[in-house]
Amino acid sequence: MANFFPKWTNKLPVQILIGVVLIATFNVLGIWYWFTPKFTRVGYQPEQPIPFSHAIHVKQLGMDCRYCHSFVEVSGHSNIPTTQTCMNCHSHVQKDNPKLAVLRESHEKGIPIKWVKVHQLPDYVYFNHSVHVNRGVSCVSCHGQVNEMDVVEHVKTFSMDFCLECHKNPEHAVRKNEDVFNLDWKPGREQRQESLGKNLVHDWKVNPPINCAGCHR
Amino acid sequence: MKRVFQHPEGPVTGKKYWRSLEEYSDSAEFKQWLDREFPDNASEFTDGQSRRSFLKLMGASMALAGIGSLAGCRRPEAYVVPLVKTPEWMVPGRALLYASAMPRRRGAQPLIVTTFDGRPVKIEGNNLYPQSNGGSSTFAQASILDLYDPDRSKTLIVEGVAKSNSEIKTILESLRNQLVASQGKDVLVLLDEANSPTQARLVRELQKQFPQINIAVYEPMMLAEQLNNAPKAIPRFEKADVILSLDCDFLNFDEGGLQSIKSFTDKRRVKNPGDPMNRLYVVENRYTNTGAVADHRLRLAASQVINFAATLAQKLGVAVPAVNGKPVPLLDLAANSFLNRWLTGLAKDLQANSGKAMIVAGAHQPALVHQIVAAINASVTAAPQAAVASAFTGLNIVQAAELIRSGKISTLIIAGGNPVYNAPNDLDWTNLQKKVASIGKVYRLGFHNDESSEKGLANIQLPMSHFLETWGDTLSEDGTLLSIQPMILPLFGGISTTQLLGALAGFAITDGPELVSETFKQVAGGDITSAWKKFVHDGFYSGARIAAPVAAGNVATVTPVPVQIDTVPLSPQSLELVIMADYKVDDGRYSNNGWMQELPDPITKNTWGNAALISQKTANDLNLKSVLEKGIYQSDVILIKANGKSLEAPILIVPGHADNSISLSVGYGRVASDAHGLRIASNLGANAYALRSSTNPYITTGVTVEKTGKRFDLAITQEHGSMEGRALVREGTVEDFVAVPDFAKHQGMDAHIPENISIHKNPYFENGQHSSIRPPVHQWGMAIDLNTCIGCNTCTIACQSENNIPIVGKEQVQNGREMHWLRIDRYFSSKRDASKIPLGSNLDEVIELDDTEMIFQPMACVHCENAPCETVCPVNATVHSEEGLNVMAYNRCIGTRYCANNCPYKVRRFNFFDYNKRPLDSLYLGPLADRPREDIEMMKLRSNPNVTVRMRGVMEKCTYCVQRIETAKIDQKVKAAASDNIKVPDQTITTACQQACPADAIVFGDISDPNSRVSEWKASGRDYSVLSYLNTKPRTSYLARLRNPNLMKEGAGFIMPDIDDVGKMSGGVGHHGGDHSAAHGHAPEGEHAHPTTPAVQPAGHRTPVQGGGNH
Repeated sequence: MANFFPKWTNKLPVQILIGVVLIATFNVLGIWYWFTPKFTRVGYQPEQPIPFSHAIHVKQLGMDCRYCHSFVEVSGHSNIPTTQTCMNCHSHVQKDNPKLAVLRESHEKGIPIKWVKVHQLPDYVYFNHSVHVNRGVSCVSCHGQVNEMDVVEHVKTFSMDFCLECHKNPEHAVRKNEDVFNLDWKPGREQRQESLGKNLVHDWKVNPPINCAGCHR
Repeated sequence: MKRVFQHPEGPVTGKKYWRSLEEYSDSAEFKQWLDREFPDNASEFTDGQSRRSFLKLMGASMALAGIGSLAGCRRPEAYVVPLVKTPEWMVPGRALLYASAMPRRRGAQPLIVTTFDGRPVKIEGNNLYPQSNGGSSTFAQASILDLYDPDRSKTLIVEGVAKSNSEIKTILESLRNQLVASQGKDVLVLLDEANSPTQARLVRELQKQFPQINIAVYEPMMLAEQLNNAPKAIPRFEKADVILSLDCDFLNFDEGGLQSIKSFTDKRRVKNPGDPMNRLYVVENRYTNTGAVADHRLRLAASQVINFAATLAQKLGVAVPAVNGKPVPLLDLAANSFLNRWLTGLAKDLQANSGKAMIVAGAHQPALVHQIVAAINASVTAAPQAAVASAFTGLNIVQAAELIRSGKISTLIIAGGNPVYNAPNDLDWTNLQKKVASIGKVYRLGFHNDESSEKGLANIQLPMSHFLETWGDTLSEDGTLLSIQPMILPLFGGISTTQLLGALAGFAITDGPELVSETFKQVAGGDITSAWKKFVHDGFYSGARIAAPVAAGNVATVTPVPVQIDTVPLSPQSLELVIMADYKVDDGRYSNNGWMQELPDPITKNTWGNAALISQKTANDLNLKSVLEKGIYQSDVILIKANGKSLEAPILIVPGHADNSISLSVGYGRVASDAHGLRIASNLGANAYALRSSTNPYITTGVTVEKTGKRFDLAITQEHGSMEGRALVREGTVEDFVAVPDFAKHQGMDAHIPENISIHKNPYFENGQHSSIRPPVHQWGMAIDLNTCIGCNTCTIACQSENNIPIVGKEQVQNGREMHWLRIDRYFSSKRDASKIPLGSNLDEVIELDDTEMIFQPMACVHCENAPCETVCPVNATVHSEEGLNVMAYNRCIGTRYCANNCPYKVRRFNFFDYNKRPLDSLYLGPLADRPREDIEMMKLRSNPNVTVRMRGVMEKCTYCVQRIETAKIDQKVKAAASDNIKVPDQTITTACQQACPADAIVFGDISDPNSRVSEWKASGRDYSVLSYLNTKPRTSYLARLRNPNLMKEGAGFIMPDIDDVGKMSGGVGHHGGDHSAAHGHAPEGEHAHPTTPAVQPAGHRTPVQGGGNH
């Protein structure tokens, strides 16, 4: 009986095996990279209805975060300022700037401004700003150097791993409360973050929750 | 191999606890419920669809979903939309609390309403109010759902045509012009009882402007009081040590109220052995919450209560007035030694406690009963009571009907009520209203488009606003003025009764409080600026009460129904019918409220409908049955003939019901022709109003019953989550507690089981010591006092409201899929020695089961330290927190349901469907059925933003209100800022159930703090854990129930005939109390506990640990 399979088929099982392994590896690595927040979230920089620049307001003019995000210390939600807040200054400053047309329209007609959300957590995550900023965690730890951004960009992953990393080792992030809203603060030469953090964690009994209910309710 | 846990066998002698007759008879059907966490219907797809058609449907829907979800590959853009102007007080993300009040016919309830971003989401009792402990009622808790009811009346309807709500003003203006022209001669205004001083003032204003106007008030469940125009009286339970209730359910939210519940239960908080406790005797025909709490309960037909009262009066030497020259017949005591001894014991107890004793009579009992009670209270018991006059009175419904019949009325204005549905049947109200509608105009201000707003019966339907949408005022039970303030503008643009009356009196309709503040000005006097602010802020006016007490001293509670003395004795051929308000839908006003419909009745555990309640003996006599088949109660349907009308209703056999008596609650059997009128309420149960006449509104005798041969499926939850009766509920008497201060810990087989020793140590909290792993802060725990729990269900509804728990519909309740995180288990305990009626007895012969006691046990996740659910979860979706919470991560749950199968407490609930996203009648269509957009929007508005709304395929359970715990911890940390003061002070956190409890029976807190309230409760000797022999170490423990029987003796024996049965230590456990090895020197209870005559009672019997005997 003649050979049913030609000779080249002898290598086929090995080739298929290698192929399968390659495809599987590619899939795993691909999902690892492209499906995780590192890729899907970091770098998100949507265009806003008003080209508001944090760099101008904070870096140049020296405004405090809490002028606009006024309830960040008392509420879980860090509020976006109302039109009224913007108009406190812009009824005098840059009155005719065409970039602020949307703002003026909102003020006159009472239409709210639809800001595009940059940092968004899933609905099943209950994050609270007030407890973080009152216990030595700076805005910069999660939002990056917003004070230098012309257009706000998503710089951290906001994955569960990102949260837990800090919740397990809070000493890497905590600083004194007076430095929380100073986004340029760096630990000094005489007091390194490690030792400062350790002291604060001990003195304040910082014990961030690492159980599910801390964030998922 | 599967390891089967061999539970220790329960004791053979002594008391048995059971939930249903099926459990008692140990039927195969019941065993099926018992053995499986999810009974047949719950876990398998046995419904109409086959597996094949299911797959087909799913295939189709997957294809649809696939097409739809392609666009979902990209992350959707989300927006943050801040307000244009910053409103005062509002902080995005934080709740704002406002004081308000819910009007009720017998006195309003002061409330605190939680709002998020301007939408009210949760109602709680107002703990600023002096007489309040912050508790509330089922009705108050559920009224938030009414606000967001998508079936509400939304638009003006003129002659069947919907119009814009902006025309309401024009219509009311023309109505006023007509009033001015006619001077109100042909106008009848029918109001309901809101106890509102502003409404009373506006009515006076109307009467002044239009002297001939006719004003009537109708409240179906206050009919008797309204016919007799009697003042209200408040019994002062805080001053009574011995209470006799003659058919008065003073622990409900109708006849009773928050104040009665609080002052009564305050006298039952027995902390240490020997502490005083009040004693309650109840005489009633059906089990009520009050009867369940009783120390001595006598089941007696409601029509015989008058004879009982007369006999008691005679025993006490109080004269009883004759009726039409005839004396009230006395009970035949010579023929019934049980009754004789019961009455004698009661009479002696009342006499012995003169000045501290009190008798209260039910509002639906005849006036003569109240006269007798008043006479006894005045002479013998000297009961302290306070009386309050009604806010205002008008014509009653009978006079109103008479006016219409005489043809004098051409304009009928119905504000709030629903007389077509609930007027007494002898008035023929439907035709009267039809007559007015055809010759003149009927205006109806209604919350729903219901029976009274049908085309042809009402010419103009006006949408009514909810009490959370409008300004108002009202009086509490004791006449304190309460404020009602709007939380939100009317969702659908309705108006309130106050606004309607104001418009008729010529005041403009505004969103502001002008009408109310004008009344307040008259009450408070002078410059009211600061007083008004305080009034609105606190929710009540601390100045003089509006309705001053009419008389000091002793006043009958209420003086209602005319007397009837029936000579025909009750028999299966001539029964009595008792019509009462429903525990869930009240007089029908909550019948479109899904939470209330799905709430199990406290006594019967019936949901989604009512049933005619009868005793086992009466069922046997009439050859009626209610059988459990495939997990569903199938009941015979009977035709009840009373007051010349007849009505079909399914029966339900309730142990403890009086013989030859039928109890039927109102509020069901509603019909609305408008498809969107009453989607929840329509076609459920039987309409008891059809049997109700104005002469016999509550108790009718001479009722006959016919068997129709039909069967009806009830949805009863009493078997759901049964736990095999392992001494789960525990009770003892006051003297047991003195004799064995830790008696509760040794009941069931706990006394026989060696100490639990775990190999696994709790890494965070072991033996009351914090560990060094994390900075020690809190360890959460809960204690529930069964002695003060009255089984009112408020906790269940509060939990439902707080935790966004969906309703599942009647069909799914029948399948055992209800979602309540907190259920109240209701146990009957047979008074007789259980060994005399072995399990498996033929029920038809076991009529002794009618003589029972009842005990409630709220049951939710007990947060075991060694939680069996956690070890079986394959995905770690349920794990333990370092603070002792058994937490549930919904997003991890893949729905294997292993955890529920392994939970010995049966407290885990599974989302078999997308109950929030799908209409309840087409759950099986899955994604092919969509709930109307408006329904979903309403649900979103109502939901608590701090709790995840769960989807299909996810397990859920009690979280100890983790959102409240975390909020409190965060607030404390914010307060601590740069310091270590992070311990949350005791009682800062109240779980929703604890907060809502009007009896203050639940306490939650930090068990690692020895000074916390929960630690104090847990230190009590009454404290015990359920199923502690499993070593689950539950964090929720219970304080055993105490009963306080009358121990007076006559000669050597006790006077009370039921003394052996009252609160006997359960499960034959008395002799196992104390040291285990020593305990065996005692005789088993069964051998000496049930002498046929009390004279031979062994003297040592009542002190179990000291009694002698051989064993």
